[in-house]
Amino acid sequence: MTLTRRAIVDHLIDIAGQDRVITDEQVLKENSYDRYKKLETIFGIYTTPIPAAVVKLADTKQVSEVLKFLNENKVNSVARTGGTATEGGLETIVENSVVLDGSQMNQIIKIDSTNMQATAQCGVCLGDLEDRLREQGFTTGHSPQSKPLANMGGLVATRSIGQFSTLYGGIEDMVIGLETVFPNGDITRIKNVPRRACGPDIRHVIIGNEGALCYITEVTVKIYKYFPENNQFLAWALDDMSLGFKILREVMVEGYRPSVARLYDAEDGAQHSFDQFAQDKCVLMFMAEGNELIAGATAQGIAAVVGKYEECTPIDGKIIENWFNHLNWGPEKIAEERELIRKTQHLAYTTEVSGNWDCINIIYEKALKRIREDYPHMDDLTMLGGHSSHSYQTGTNLYFVYDYDVKNCKPEEEINKYHIALNALIVEETLKAGGSMVHHHGIGKYRTPWTKQEHGTAYSILKGLKDQFDPNGIMNTGTIYPVE
Amino acid sequence: MKIAVCFKTIADYDRMSQKDWEWDEHHFVDVSFVRRIFNCFEESALEMALKLSRPLEDLPDKAELTALTVDGEQGDLFLKHLIAVGYDHAVRICSNKRLDLRFSPLSISHLISAYMNQHEHQLVIFGMQGGEGGNRQTGFLVAEQLGWPCIREVTEVIRTESPDFLKVTSRIDGAALVQIVKLPMVLVIGHSQGSAYLRIPNLKQKLDAKKKQVTLLSEHALKVDNKELLNKDKILIDLHKQRASQSCIFLEGKTARDQAQQLYDQYLKERLPL
Repeated sequence: MTLTRRAIVDHLIDIAGQDRVITDEQVLKENSYDRYKKLETIFGIYTTPIPAAVVKLADTKQVSEVLKFLNENKVNSVARTGGTATEGGLETIVENSVVLDGSQMNQIIKIDSTNMQATAQCGVCLGDLEDRLREQGFTTGHSPQSKPLANMGGLVATRSIGQFSTLYGGIEDMVIGLETVFPNGDITRIKNVPRRACGPDIRHVIIGNEGALCYITEVTVKIYKYFPENNQFLAWALDDMSLGFKILREVMVEGYRPSVARLYDAEDGAQHSFDQFAQDKCVLMFMAEGNELIAGATAQGIAAVVGKYEECTPIDGKIIENWFNHLNWGPEKIAEERELIRKTQHLAYTTEVSGNWDCINIIYEKALKRIREDYPHMDDLTMLGGHSSHSYQTGTNLYFVYDYDVKNCKPEEEINKYHIALNALIVEETLKAGGSMVHHHGIGKYRTPWTKQEHGTAYSILKGLKDQFDPNGIMNTGTIYPVE
Repeated sequence: MKIAVCFKTIADYDRMSQKDWEWDEHHFVDVSFVRRIFNCFEESALEMALKLSRPLEDLPDKAELTALTVDGEQGDLFLKHLIAVGYDHAVRICSNKRLDLRFSPLSISHLISAYMNQHEHQLVIFGMQGGEGGNRQTGFLVAEQLGWPCIREVTEVIRTESPDFLKVTSRIDGAALVQIVKLPMVLVIGHSQGSAYLRIPNLKQKLDAKKKQVTLLSEHALKVDNKELLNKDKILIDLHKQRASQSCIFLEGKTARDQAQQLYDQYLKERLPL
């Protein structure tokens, strides 16, 4: 028998206590969405069902008890920590969902400078962990723009990536061990060892599960020595993206590992005021970091690679450093953005994809061409461009960026008219060219129409995980896995 | 009606760290690596003029808009943006590169007045103050040189039924003053709620604007003597950083309740009205 909203709340209070079960209507509304539907929420419109309760989880044992109860009664749960998800993964699309808020599980458990590891509960803000580490001369190397807000649990759950990924990797390269709770209440710990060959790497069942398989309660990540004094910024202006991709590839294939390797097209660059220094040009930039010898050699090597191309004109690295130091967004920037949107009805969204070196420029050109030719509201677009910001030995990512003025539609219609439609064109062209439809935001709830196409014959593996770990389908329904 | 909006671009000071503010042996602070932005009051002024230029039911004529700046080549990007959002003319007065006019409102006003004397306008709009000089003088000096009336701290401008009059709202001593004024006129824009942000052009408008030219004018073309621009009345002798130190007390209470109680006992109690 399905529990009523009241019964769900009563049971949760029995487990977690009155103080930890929030049913205030405004809090529930705010927990029914993430950063996907900006305009609706700015105007106080909430089109997704409001959850039955938000549970402020105290510890792993409580997570286990709550999940067990929800599983036994087939009540949908949505795992949440910092709330900075951008793909609708935190939306409570099922009636009477329960939001499992781990933000109060916020203890930094251990900084182990011998084994170079840091262990933190899921609700530890990455910015706080970084501050603690930097006081001791260390860093996680993880630096997404959401660093001041995002929590460790969410960062691992969404398979996030940071701005220094070309050197440090994505979160999957950083995580050593995890503590996780599965819907049946089982608490599992994956131990912290440097490497092992004991069957498949089970960390990857958990990393990137987006709350659709389990609840991450504790994370252990690698730490590195921090040498900001050695950072070197290098940048060049060039005419086209295809040459930029070629140079990016060469830098990577030659074995250099800058922490930052980015390529902006002229349109996207202008958004960042690069047109003031390189008008109508693409901008290629790098940051070399590490100890003095490594940073110096990396910068020197990259300069030698790019120096072979006469088409590239150097840009003062100080310009890039100044820009880069202001890229993160904290609560004040989000509040400022929301106020600006409210006043101007002008929005910006992104779609991030990836591809091998042999198809990345094809994806870039075809996706933009498709939008220019097929998108029916081109006149409302004020910006359309993209950049690459995470490179690998085998390929790179592409961040398509589009801004638009919302015209002739209600706030609740905006997302379908603009972002969803544009996102679909980009995803379709990416998959057609052999790339991946999501590079680092997670599938969330809005790219699920393409989950099967993305994985192809391997989808059975993904499906098998859901069948195994969440047979009752109570873990963040509609996320990663399409609702059928 | 012909409207000219005079604007300046400034370095985005929010993006400068304390280290960036260290000056060299010539008392020069390098801001060349920081992006430039529209001065905020002039951003309001530019948007306000765009709204003012719209044809109305009773006044079907669109006002003709000119954007004017005294700047180097870096100003062209901003002027192109203004063409894209609807300005009919974009003018850059390029003064002698050897003269640093950033802190010389008198020199700037001479150049602007000279332009206005050559090109007939009924309304000239300025922002209240700039992030660099912060002098609050340029608009008044131009008004004086043109012999036109000037209203400061303007928050709203609306067209009236007569093309020769405007309805202007301004702030004065904390109150709003609404006046019907006869043109020509200089307006100095203050904190405008309705036009805080300049609109953003769409892709087509940006593309079209690229094809249009910015009008470049030298002092010579404006018949202004270089000597008039030399700012002889002020010589920079030294720079000092203002140090405003404040004392602080840490609230030691373990809980928010304890801390709130301490805040009340130690600070608020004696200040709150009984």
